[in-house]
Amino acid sequence: MVLFRHELKMNFKNFLIWTLCVGLGCLGCILLYGSLEEQIQGIADSFSDMGSMSAALGMDKMNLATMRGYFATEVAMMHGLGGAMYAAILGIGLVSKEQSAHTVDFLNVLPVKREKLLFSKYITLVTNILLFQMICAALYLLGFGLMGENADGREFFLYFLAAALMQVEIGTVCFGISAMSGKNRTGAGLGIAVLAFAMDMMCRIVPAIENLKYITPFYYANAADIYTNGEISVTMAATAGGVIFFSLAAAWTIYCRKDL
Amino acid sequence: MKKTEYAISIENMTKSYGKHRGVKDLSLQVITGDIFGFLGPNGAGKSTTIRSLLGLLKFQEGSASVFGLDVRSRSEDILRRVGYMPAEAMFYDAMKVKDVIRFAADMRGMDCRREADMLCGRLSLDREKRIEELSLGNRKKVSIVCAMQHKPDLFIFDEPTSGLDPLMQAEFFQLILEYNKQGTTCFLSSHVLSEIKKYCRHAAIIKEGEIVCCDTVQNLTKTNAKRVHFVENGTEERFVWRGGIDELLAGFAGRHIEDITIEEPSLDEIFMHYYGEGEECEDGIVQA
Repeated sequence: MVLFRHELKMNFKNFLIWTLCVGLGCLGCILLYGSLEEQIQGIADSFSDMGSMSAALGMDKMNLATMRGYFATEVAMMHGLGGAMYAAILGIGLVSKEQSAHTVDFLNVLPVKREKLLFSKYITLVTNILLFQMICAALYLLGFGLMGENADGREFFLYFLAAALMQVEIGTVCFGISAMSGKNRTGAGLGIAVLAFAMDMMCRIVPAIENLKYITPFYYANAADIYTNGEISVTMAATAGGVIFFSLAAAWTIYCRKDL
Repeated sequence: MKKTEYAISIENMTKSYGKHRGVKDLSLQVITGDIFGFLGPNGAGKSTTIRSLLGLLKFQEGSASVFGLDVRSRSEDILRRVGYMPAEAMFYDAMKVKDVIRFAADMRGMDCRREADMLCGRLSLDREKRIEELSLGNRKKVSIVCAMQHKPDLFIFDEPTSGLDPLMQAEFFQLILEYNKQGTTCFLSSHVLSEIKKYCRHAAIIKEGEIVCCDTVQNLTKTNAKRVHFVENGTEERFVWRGGIDELLAGFAGRHIEDITIEEPSLDEIFMHYYGEGEECEDGIVQA
């Protein structure tokens, strides 16, 4: 518990910056909808007629001219990408920062097993992600309220559940890399998040690489799909569970045996 | 001697980093209650030995125990009884000194406020400053407080005095002596020979990952070698003599010697001898 509190404190500034940037940015977009409402029908018509590009952006399923469609295609995309980048940066630095900053000679000689240390750090990652999602969700609900719109409670909740799972998946993969490597790899973390986002777009446009949908977590956390189908794909969620499990198992196995 | 009477017991420890040597077949015992000096230059394997003892490094061969507890399987129990000060004292930059000290105590589940107050006072450490504002010397002081505040049974200090001014060095050794009187064992790695000679009872010298000698400091400095300093025709000369005194004196017969001193070699000279920096000649003279 002491270590968990310490980790929360150490990561609080970053948490606040990312949560406020993503949350307030997306809230701003929701509030902008009022001033865009008149022009947006035209934009929606042209966007829905762009073939596979419309599919990539989810505009073949959702109408951009409605608040629901606007949220699922525009706001959720920003939220997903911002959240993934935050999870990646948080996860990739949590363990390796101790070695790169030489604080390992302070922290790892306190009487705590490596397993416990890793567990505390992982719980910090998950807690930060869940708090990030809850604060963002609260801000968006506030936006819906101010705009006098209905947030579609069930789909809204399912989307945030999927977004949290996606963040945990990306964060855990990066956490695994962090536990195995003793170097600061922030660039690699950001690369993983952006690559996963790009893979989702590509596999929706090019049928030949459709199977990439099983690799990128952005696919099952797509708000347009969730709002249209009213569910999260169980297969995809199970795949995400598998990726999380193996990333954690690799992190545990290697970190507990490696030289620090 | 029973294994538990040793604070530290290392048997045939080998640790390598891929192709690079760490330590090789290293054996070492430190008696409980001792102040033990571990001498060697940079890269000799001192930190590798210490970090292996603390469980930070996983050694490939041999065994090691602290107070009879195996370092591989009982690291948490060992760390509870150890106060460690690394060569590089690094903490979290944004934290205040008082928070770092309290965090270290909290992680041990102990209330160390009284001892921490005493240590901070004696080391003149400002607890309100942030770590990023501290000099190397002040970071070392934080490290000393974190290592001592829980009154451990064993201190492991890796080159502790670098960065500390002479006054603080004296205060630091005074603290070690006080804790040692209360029963704390001290394992001190250093390449400053004078502090080993002044404060340690036993010492080991490590060279290229292997222990080359281990004895009491008194015995280490009492060898059959003699340091000879003489003045002949106004010219000063000095060397270390390994051989009989008769032979030495015979060598001076018939020469105009104005002054001569024959004494035990210093620990520095013994250290240099083990490190091959004094070249021994066929006639027993080692250039000091």
